[in-house]
Amino acid sequence: MSALACDDVTVTYGETVALSGVSVAFDAGRIHAVVGQNGAGKTTFARVCAGIVRPSSGALTIGDEPVPVGNVRASRACGVELVHQSFALPPSFTVAEALEFGSTRPGGLVFSRRALEARWRAHLENLDVPARLSDRIRDLPVETQQGVEIARALVSDAKLLILDEPTAVLAPLAIDRLFARLRRLNASGVTVLLILHKIREVLAIAETVSVLRAGRLVEALLPREGMSPASLARAIVGSSDVDLAAPIALEALAAESERVAAVHLSGVSTRAVLGGPALDDVSLTVGCGEIVGIAGVEGNGQRTLVDALAALAPITSGTLRLAGHDVTSAPLLERRGHGLRIIPFERNIEGLSLASALWQNWSARLLVVGRLLRLIDPPRLRATSRTVLERWGVRFGSVDQNAGTLSGGNAQKVVLAREIDDDATLIVAAQPTRGLDIAAMAFVWRALSEARDRGCGVIVISSDLDELFDISDRVVVFVSGRIAGEFRPPYDVRTVGEAMTAAHA
Amino acid sequence: MARHAAPPDGDNTMIAAIAAILQSATPLIYVALGGMIAARAGIWNLGLEGLMIAGACAAVVGTKQSDSAGVGIACAVVVCVLGSILLWFVIEKLRANPVIAGLGISGLGLGGTDLAIQAIYGNEGSVHAPLSLPQLGAGAGAFAGCSVLVVAMPFVVAALWVVLRRTRFGLQLSACGEHPFAARSVGVDPVRMRLVALAIGGVLCAFGGAELALGRLQIFSVGMTAGRGYMAFAAVVFGAMDPIGSAAAATFFSLVEYLGIKGQLVFGNIAPPELILSLPYIATVLGVWISSRLRGGAAALSELREY
Amino acid sequence: MSARLFPVVRALTFVALALVACAIVFQLAGYPSAGMFAAIAEGAFLAPHAIVHTIRWAMPLFITALGVLVAFRCGYFNIGAQGQFYAGAITAGLVADALHAGPPVLVIPLVLAAGIAGGALWALWPGLLRVLSGTDEVITTLMGNFIATLALAYVASGPLKDGSGSGEVAAARPVAEGFRLSTSSGVSFSLAAIVIVVGLLMWLLVDRTAFGVLGSLAGRNPVMVVWQGARSGRIAIGAFLFSGSLAGLAGALELLGPSGRLLSGFAPTLGFGAILIALVAGLSVSAAAVASIFFGGLAAASLYLPVIAGFPAAAIDIINAAITLLITARAWPAKLTVRAWPAMLRRRTATTP
Repeated sequence: MSALACDDVTVTYGETVALSGVSVAFDAGRIHAVVGQNGAGKTTFARVCAGIVRPSSGALTIGDEPVPVGNVRASRACGVELVHQSFALPPSFTVAEALEFGSTRPGGLVFSRRALEARWRAHLENLDVPARLSDRIRDLPVETQQGVEIARALVSDAKLLILDEPTAVLAPLAIDRLFARLRRLNASGVTVLLILHKIREVLAIAETVSVLRAGRLVEALLPREGMSPASLARAIVGSSDVDLAAPIALEALAAESERVAAVHLSGVSTRAVLGGPALDDVSLTVGCGEIVGIAGVEGNGQRTLVDALAALAPITSGTLRLAGHDVTSAPLLERRGHGLRIIPFERNIEGLSLASALWQNWSARLLVVGRLLRLIDPPRLRATSRTVLERWGVRFGSVDQNAGTLSGGNAQKVVLAREIDDDATLIVAAQPTRGLDIAAMAFVWRALSEARDRGCGVIVISSDLDELFDISDRVVVFVSGRIAGEFRPPYDVRTVGEAMTAAHA
Repeated sequence: MARHAAPPDGDNTMIAAIAAILQSATPLIYVALGGMIAARAGIWNLGLEGLMIAGACAAVVGTKQSDSAGVGIACAVVVCVLGSILLWFVIEKLRANPVIAGLGISGLGLGGTDLAIQAIYGNEGSVHAPLSLPQLGAGAGAFAGCSVLVVAMPFVVAALWVVLRRTRFGLQLSACGEHPFAARSVGVDPVRMRLVALAIGGVLCAFGGAELALGRLQIFSVGMTAGRGYMAFAAVVFGAMDPIGSAAAATFFSLVEYLGIKGQLVFGNIAPPELILSLPYIATVLGVWISSRLRGGAAALSELREY
Repeated sequence: MSARLFPVVRALTFVALALVACAIVFQLAGYPSAGMFAAIAEGAFLAPHAIVHTIRWAMPLFITALGVLVAFRCGYFNIGAQGQFYAGAITAGLVADALHAGPPVLVIPLVLAAGIAGGALWALWPGLLRVLSGTDEVITTLMGNFIATLALAYVASGPLKDGSGSGEVAAARPVAEGFRLSTSSGVSFSLAAIVIVVGLLMWLLVDRTAFGVLGSLAGRNPVMVVWQGARSGRIAIGAFLFSGSLAGLAGALELLGPSGRLLSGFAPTLGFGAILIALVAGLSVSAAAVASIFFGGLAAASLYLPVIAGFPAAAIDIINAAITLLITARAWPAKLTVRAWPAMLRRRTATTP
């Protein structure tokens, strides 16, 4: 008997295909894992199962009964509950309120605070969640919040519990506790479906593994027995069939020490930012004509590094030098004046104004320099932007069309066209190929290589180790805001991977 | 706004003052509660001004036509609920900008009541109602003039607090505004919840308007709300979307108005009357300023991004 | 449909929808819609001298609308145009009164400058509250309207009081004859010249300066411009100052033009009319000029309607409010389209219980 089965599920958002023809049936009573890279469609898949996302086509069967798609109540009524990656818990609610508001258990119409807490105390204790029912969600540490989130998902009689990337926010010991709890749940009859992307965790907990890649299910229900980290990694990443870049000539690195560093971080520490821990005594030098790749699980300080370079996270100690100039406390505009260029994490929020014209998006870099009230020449800016965008191979109709009308790959080319100019000395590329197809990815890597060849320093942050290895002259691993290792080619995925998943000292 | 002055017999005791402030604040409190429920569910309702005056007008016209205050209140409720549903439709289904759509509803209320008065009663600026809302009467001492809506107001505040903080429905409503994804993930539809919230808000605005026009004065005049609906909106922001907080903020604004007028009477004309009249508006600005400093930042009411 | 044409068609569709809805409302209220709309057309364009009245209102509306659209383009909801208009009129009136004996050549520019400064200052304080404390400008500018209205009443009946007036509406002393830029008709070459120059300057600001383009980017995505190194605070303050200045200039021009004196509560719907023009015009300067003629016509009609045709002026307010309600709509529910009906009917008849 299958706990949940999908039949030919396809989800499209406008032009983007998030899931394509996914068909799989998960057996009841086991612990399953669904794995894949970022952007592979794992979260979308989880949400389709839970009824939050309505697929454009396909059917859903829960416990051998067909269930209407895109209907949360129907899915919950059949016992499917989803533990969300960023927690579906209103921050101002108390733990008791958070458990109550989604509950379908019969209860009184009105409750007093004490009655409410009494109602849920046993539930929390059974699940071993160390939180007081009167605590507010926003005041709880992340691991406890996740415990409450799991408790919330279990208030109704869950037969299938789906957890979306539950380990992304947890330290290793907490992960062990989570897995122990999940095994206990499984022993009591609950089917568990975990969305994961760390290989070690998958091998630690899962009984079967299904792999999503670019929205397609490439492997279904692989048994855990006989699986090795290497074989799993191969299944997740796949082998790229496009020649991404010419092999890096090792001789080019030899003269590096004589050049001025593009950027030099010395003992830099910052405070934590939204989305990442504080930087802790980071010392990093990127030479001109060098690509340094930053590897690491998301949320280990990469975001903080970019924010610190962009003057959005103040540097509390240490110094930052750009092309020889001390810019530790300089504003972003000054840093850009020294050649800092950023290809940000969130292309649509930080990189482009989707509702603005292409020429405006491209010209922004020029417009911020100089007096606000100076006259500019839009016809010339339009013409120049058209020339540049064409040179970069952007497919567009007119420079007046909104950036939001472009596909992901083309939009990223616009960002590249703006940021990679002749005055750039340091290019920070944060997940530059996320959400792009193979051809667009190749284009991005080529552009960054060419910039490096012209003498720019390049920092690349990516969760795709394969591509990082192909393009980087050096790979640096970040764990919890510190540098946990530095590697030179030839790279060994196992060594680097171990550094990435290193336990805390 | 000068109509809501101190009690006519010039009684200066503390109790009389409290009664006067209570009566003056009640319309504002009801409307603020209406705005509060909508805000909790995720809609900032700038149409409160229009809903309030429409409620006031409907209450007076209904009372006048039927000689019954109950019918008057019922008319007010119908009109305000319909106006709220219209606002919901324009914001949620037509995806209009909530601030502008709210201003539109306010404009429709102000202009519509003007037109209605002229259409029904000819070319006057005001309409008298034959009776006011039932009042406590002589036995209540200083509170004799308080209408049923004034008496009910504290209970309404308490009831809303209980519903919002102590029932599952109230928690779901709050989730729709604070974390719509969390609401959806447990099967609650934020769009439908906002309809319910706006409808309840409409009823409360109707009470506020009815109290304004029929509480003691028995008159409706064009534009009589004089910005109170917007002040109620500010009271919601100042009161952090909490029933008791919003009611307190609304009371504070009314208190400022009362003190200003009282001060004018007591100390003579040292300050121009216009300055006194602007005190509540200034207090409102201070209120939202303090609120933003305490809570760190704009609540992002403005979203005109597509322009 | 081309990308540029679509917003225009959409705006016109919703304006038309609003007018249809108003026609229904008027009919239900007992007024003949056809007659009412005919009277509006007369008051706006068809009656003798109607065009003059229309232009007389279109000009201050246009100038104020330019200010509104600058602020809205930068992403700031300055809805205090009415208050900034009054503030400009007040400062202009005070200066005109103080310098009443001076030579027009010097005084007129000073009065206009005072109007600009008054409006700018009245927009500056909400702007500072927004930039420094994050206080949302919707409530602050709205309250500013009420406060400025009261301030105008005070000035007109207090310091500048006209001793000879009958006193029904608080009116100040008239401005010296030599300072007037037009007769009470409100249309003159000097006013028209000023309006055209201001229009061109604002087009220049919005279209041909770094402030204009960056502000437009910031209005649609404030995060992105920060990542380019822009200083959002400066753009914000600039937006508020420009929009207040223009409203204040309109106030000064009203004073030296058709009004001739400060009147408590004059042109009470000018601010929201300007906001509406800016929205209907999709925040474009050239479209705002066209829209100003339309809404100037409505404003002229609102005086014609009660006086000549016997209809309530509130009808115009309702039309404006209805357009305001719908003009920012961006979607149409699929179930309500004509195309959806056949499918819906088919579904109804196909299911058998």
